[in-house]
Amino acid sequence: MTLRFLRNKVVEIETRPDGVLAVSWRLTDDLQKAEVNLLVQLPQLEIMEAEAKIDRFVPETCQSASERIKNVEGISIGSGLRKIVAGLLGGPDGCSLLMEAVLESANAVILNFTRPGIEVGESMPDDAEKLTLFQEMVKSSPRLVRSCIAFQDESPIMKNLNL
Amino acid sequence: MITFSRSQLVSAEFLENDVIRFNGIQEDHIYSMEVQLEVRVTDGEILSVKGDMKRYTNFVCPQAIPVLQTAVGLSLLEEGWDKKVMKEIGRKGCEHFAEIIIECGRCLKQAVLSNSLHDALSKDPSLDQTQFLMEMSA
Repeated sequence: MTLRFLRNKVVEIETRPDGVLAVSWRLTDDLQKAEVNLLVQLPQLEIMEAEAKIDRFVPETCQSASERIKNVEGISIGSGLRKIVAGLLGGPDGCSLLMEAVLESANAVILNFTRPGIEVGESMPDDAEKLTLFQEMVKSSPRLVRSCIAFQDESPIMKNLNL
Repeated sequence: MITFSRSQLVSAEFLENDVIRFNGIQEDHIYSMEVQLEVRVTDGEILSVKGDMKRYTNFVCPQAIPVLQTAVGLSLLEEGWDKKVMKEIGRKGCEHFAEIIIECGRCLKQAVLSNSLHDALSKDPSLDQTQFLMEMSA
């Protein structure tokens, strides 16, 4: 059976020598082609620059994507981002594609910083040590509490943590 | 260098009886997930879901696989469906399963449009594609 629709999406974080994160988000499918590029400054995770380009069949509300994306310049990746981005890019006349691109890029930035901690755990041969590492991780990142099955109250990782 | 990268691939097969089968793959430097959803086109209802967790971070993660079944019966056309997927599949199971299911869901309308355009072009290769899509989306 041949396909009638295929979507490819990629988001990449490049850590530049000056410490700035260059985020490249791209989407291509049978009907749409879109690209968003962000420059994110540490330590505040502020979006310094934002660019967007949408091609192929462009939804009416995304016609001015390259200007509209400038609305996110100056905001920081952190708590409340979903609401802020929805206010700047979403709504009935908003461009949902741009909103998704910025939120997925922000998520990738967070995962970029999560990766080294995960790698530390992988190098530990002892299961008890790994469990302690995950417990320390959740203690230092309250956003993880009840964020998934591993950090629900019943999980062995959460045992005796009282978070 | 690239310090984190994620790819999502969603394909849509149009089966018989008004059903689309989505295959969704999410692969990144930390996680690897795959889902297969069968969805009724008319009302967007998820008829079945299967999932495979290929790379994950801790021993509790695979317990999220049975949680996927809570997606059956949910409509991808109802208001707030994506928030519901994140709450029921993501928070109670695995956020990364939820992410790829949401991407499959976002593809529903696009896949139907793409399928219609494909059929229309096979009948009339000179069709104004932009006009066709604007009319279909209205």
